[in-house]
Amino acid sequence: MAASINGVLEQTLQKSINSCKLLVVGAGGIGCELIKNLVLTGFHDVELIDLDTIDVSNLNRQFLFRKEHVGKSKAEVAKESALKFNPNANIVAYHDSIMGPEYGVDFFKRFALVMNALDNRAARNHVNRMCLAADIPLIESGTAGYLGQVTVIKKGLTECYECQPKPTQKSFPGCTIRNTPSEPIHCIVWAKHLFNQLFGEDDPDQDVSPDTEDPEAAGDAGEVALQSEAKESVAGGVARKSTRMWAQQSGYEPEKIFNKMFRDDIRYLLSMENLWKKRKAPLPLEWNNLPNTAQDGDHSAQLGGIRDQRVWSICECASVFAESLKLCKDQLMNSGDCGTLVWDKDDEPALNFVTSAANLRAHIFHIPLKSKFDVKSMAGNIIPAIATTNAIIAGLLVMEGLKILSGNIDKCKTVYLNRQPNPRKKLLVPCVLDKPNPKCYVCSEKPEVTVRLNTTTMTVHTLEEKIIKGSLGMVAPDVEIDDGKGTILISSEEGETEGNMGKILSEFGIRNGSRLKCDDFLQVYNLNINILHVEKLKEDKEFEVIGDIAELQAQASADNTGPDTNSQEDDDDDDDLIMEDEPTEITTPSRKRKANGASDADLSTKKLKRSIDANCQEDEDIVVL
Amino acid sequence: MLVTMVEQDSLTLTEDEAALYDRQIRLWGLDAQKRLRAAKVLLVGIGGLGAEVAKNIVLSGIKSLTILDHQQVTEAARCSQFLIDHTAHLGHNRALSSLERTQLLNPMVSVSADAADVADKPDDFFRSFDVICATCCSEQQLLRINDLCRANGSLFFAGDVFGYYGYMFADLNQHEFAEEVQQKVKAVADAGDGDGEPAAKRSKHSATETVTVKKTMTFTHLKDALTIDWTAEGMAKKAKKTPDTYFITRVLMEFCKVHKRAPRVSSLESDKEALTKLRHSLLTALAVDESLVPQDFVNFCFAELSPVCAVVGGVLGQEIIKAVSQRDAPHNNFFFYNGVNGSGMVDLLC
Ligand SMILES: [Zn+2]
Repeated sequence: MAASINGVLEQTLQKSINSCKLLVVGAGGIGCELIKNLVLTGFHDVELIDLDTIDVSNLNRQFLFRKEHVGKSKAEVAKESALKFNPNANIVAYHDSIMGPEYGVDFFKRFALVMNALDNRAARNHVNRMCLAADIPLIESGTAGYLGQVTVIKKGLTECYECQPKPTQKSFPGCTIRNTPSEPIHCIVWAKHLFNQLFGEDDPDQDVSPDTEDPEAAGDAGEVALQSEAKESVAGGVARKSTRMWAQQSGYEPEKIFNKMFRDDIRYLLSMENLWKKRKAPLPLEWNNLPNTAQDGDHSAQLGGIRDQRVWSICECASVFAESLKLCKDQLMNSGDCGTLVWDKDDEPALNFVTSAANLRAHIFHIPLKSKFDVKSMAGNIIPAIATTNAIIAGLLVMEGLKILSGNIDKCKTVYLNRQPNPRKKLLVPCVLDKPNPKCYVCSEKPEVTVRLNTTTMTVHTLEEKIIKGSLGMVAPDVEIDDGKGTILISSEEGETEGNMGKILSEFGIRNGSRLKCDDFLQVYNLNINILHVEKLKEDKEFEVIGDIAELQAQASADNTGPDTNSQEDDDDDDDLIMEDEPTEITTPSRKRKANGASDADLSTKKLKRSIDANCQEDEDIVVL
Repeated sequence: MLVTMVEQDSLTLTEDEAALYDRQIRLWGLDAQKRLRAAKVLLVGIGGLGAEVAKNIVLSGIKSLTILDHQQVTEAARCSQFLIDHTAHLGHNRALSSLERTQLLNPMVSVSADAADVADKPDDFFRSFDVICATCCSEQQLLRINDLCRANGSLFFAGDVFGYYGYMFADLNQHEFAEEVQQKVKAVADAGDGDGEPAAKRSKHSATETVTVKKTMTFTHLKDALTIDWTAEGMAKKAKKTPDTYFITRVLMEFCKVHKRAPRVSSLESDKEALTKLRHSLLTALAVDESLVPQDFVNFCFAELSPVCAVVGGVLGQEIIKAVSQRDAPHNNFFFYNGVNGSGMVDLLC
C-alpha cells in the first residue's frame, strides 16, 4: 500500500490517507476498479454500497467478480475480493440502495470524502443532495464506451451535479409512435408500450392504438366505416383503459391480440387517408395468412454471427410473439391480483415479446427489421461499458481524491477522457470547475422552480410521481400548499394523504400562480414550486419545468452545435494559435427509476465533451427511449 | 492444416463467449472480438503497470497471454501489483506469483508464466507472438524487442510507471485499420419514392450515414524517439511543446541504465540525489532547457502508484485491443501521463 511505505507519497497526504474514511457508492464497472486503486493506495477505512447483484455480462470488466459469483451482491463480493489486496483493510459492504432512509445526513457526515461510481441519474441526484447537506466533497464519475469523465463537487465552491439542466430523455411524438413510424426505434418504443399496456403499470402516455388526434390526419379519421369491433377498441379515453381489460377478457389469446394489433388497428390507420398521401401505406398482417419472408433486415445474420444477431422471418416473429405472450401472461398471473410486470431487457420472454412485436410492426410499415441483439441495445438503453475506460476513470477519480486530501481542492478539475487526442495533444482534457449556479434549484440559497401544467387534469399522484420525484429528484417529499392555510397535499408518512392521490390539483384550489412548498426530510432539501396553468403543452407533454431552467435548457441544446461556454479547458499554453475545435455535447441517457438495473452506465455528468475530430461515432452507443 | 483450423475456430463465437463479451461486442463489433480471440500476447514485466495491462487484455478475451518476468516480489509491489498474493509471495518470482489470479480473470484465455530473464531469451522465442508489450525492461532490451517485432511483423508496445509518472509507446510499423466516419448523405429529393416520409418528420439520422474507411498509419522505431537531435533547427520550440513526462521518463530511464534498477524507497535519499544529478547531466547532454523537468520530480517518482498504473495501463490496454482488432486510429506513438499536474497527452516523437 503506497501510504504505508515512506517516500512514495508526501507525508501530509500519507497521513490523511491513513486516517480518513471514504464512502464509495457503486460497485460496478468503475466501482471495482476504484476499490482496487483505493486499497492499493493505502486507504483502509472504506464503506461500499451497491444495490445490484452480479450478472454474467458484468464479468468482462468487473474484474473482482467471477462466474461463481453470479447472482450475489456486488458490494459483498467486491469487499471480499478487495480484502485479498490488503487483508488488514477495514471495508464495510452494504447490499442496499443509497437512497434508503437509513443513509441520512448523519451517515454521510462520517466520511471525509464520497466517491460516486453510479450508473443512473436518480441516485446521482440523491447523493449530490446528501453531500451538499452534509457538506462533504463528492467526486462524480461516468463512462460510456470509450469516453469518460470525472468531476468534483463541493458545496459553495463548485457547481453541484444539478446546477446545469441535464438533457432530457429523447422522446418521440405520440403520433409517430402510434400512427406513422418510420424507423426501427419507433417500432421498438411502440412494442415496449404494448408490453406495458398488456402486462405493466398503466400509463396513459403509452397508448398503442391509432391516434385520431394526429394533426396530420386532419380529422378524416373515424369517418370511414370500420368494423365495429375495431372501432370499439381505439380512440379516446374509453380505449385507453381497455387494452389491458380487453386482453384479459380475450384470455390473452395470441391470435386475437395479433389480429387486433397488426391487422385491425392497421386497417383503422389506413382509413386515416391523409397520412398515406405522401407515405407508403402500411400493410396489415393476418394471423392465418402470414407472408413467407426470407430473413431481411441487417446483414449480421452471416455465417459465424452470434445467434441473437440473426434477424427473424415474419413467421418466426409471429410464433415468438405467441410464445412470449403466453410466458409473460403466466408471469403476470403468478404475480398476484394487482401485480404488474416491469419490462426488463434481461428477462427472456419480455425481450422476445418486444423483439417480435417491434419487427411485426416494422414489416407492416416497410421498416428494416432488427435482430434480438440490436433490439436489446435499443430497448434496454445499453451503453456499452469496457474495462479499459472504467480503469482510466477510476484512476482519475483517485487522483482527484488525493488533491482533496492534500488540502488542494482548489486544484481539482473536471477531466474528460476523449477517444482521440484534441489538437493540443490532450487525450485527457482537464477543465476548471465551474462556480455554483446562483439559480440552481438544488444548491442555491432559496431553491425555487416553475412548473407548467394543467391544474384541471393533473392528479396529485402524477404531480408526486412524475414531477416531484421523477423530475425534481425528491425521494420522500412532504408538500404543502402555500395558501395561508397550510393545506397538506402530500405527506411522506404512509397513509396520511393516500386519499388525495386520485384527486385533481384544482380540487385543492391549485391554479395559475399557486405555490407549493416541498420538503424532503431525508435530503434536508426544501423547494418552492410555482405553478403555471396551461391548457395544453406541445407534443402532448404532461408538464414542463421552466423559468431559469428553461433558459438554460434552450442554451444547452444550442450548445449541441455551438461553443460550450460553461467549461474552459485548463490551459495556459496560449501561444498556440491553432483554434481548438469546440467541444460538442452529447445527450446523456437516463432511465426511469422503476427500471432499476436496466442500463449499464448512465453518464454521470451533464455533458460529455469531446473534440469534433473524434467524429460522432459514439452516437450509436447512446440510445435513449 | 493449421491455418484452416484457426480460421474455422475464429468464425463462430460460442454462446458463452457471446454472453461474456456482450457489452464489448456491442461497442467494437463481432469482427474485432474475433480478431482478439486469435491474438497471442507476450507481456514482459509484471509490476503494477503490467498487472493493469494483463487484467485489461485478459478480460477483453485474447487467445493467450504469456507473462515473462525474472524479478522478485518486493514490498513496493504492494502499491499496485494486485495480481500477487503478497502475504504468500514476498521474495518469490513475480510472473509465477501472478499466474493464478490472472487466469481467474478469464478462464477462456490461456495464461502462462515464465520466470526467465528476457535478456536470456533467444530471438526465436519472440517469433510466436502477435503482440509484445514490454515493461520494466532495460533500454537495451526495449530496443532489441522492438527490432525483433519489426522483423517478425508483430505489434510492439512498451511502457512504464514511476510514481506519479507514466508513459506508453507503440510501434505498429505500417498499420492498417478501419475507421467509421459519419458521411453526409444527399437528402432524398423525391418524396414519392419508397418510404416517402415527409421532410418535417424525417429524423436527422437520415442525413448522415456511417461508412467504414480503411486507413494506414506509419510508426517509427523506439530508437528514433530516443535519439532525437534537440539541437536541430526548430527543435528548441518543439521541446517546449513536448509533454514534460517525456523528459522525466528519459531521466528515469537514464537512472535505470546507470543503476541497473529503478529508483527504490530503500535508498530514497541517495536515489533522489542521483536523480537530481542525472536531471542536470542528461538534459545538458540533450541540449534542452533543464527547467523542462520540474525540480521536485524526485519527490513523485518512487514505486508505482496504483491510480497512475490504472490510467496508463488503461490507455495501453486499449491501444493493444485497438491494434489487434484493427479498428480505430491508434495513438502514434507516445501517451504520457503526469499525475502531478494531471495531464494526459499523446505525442509523436521521432
Ligand atoms: Zn447546484
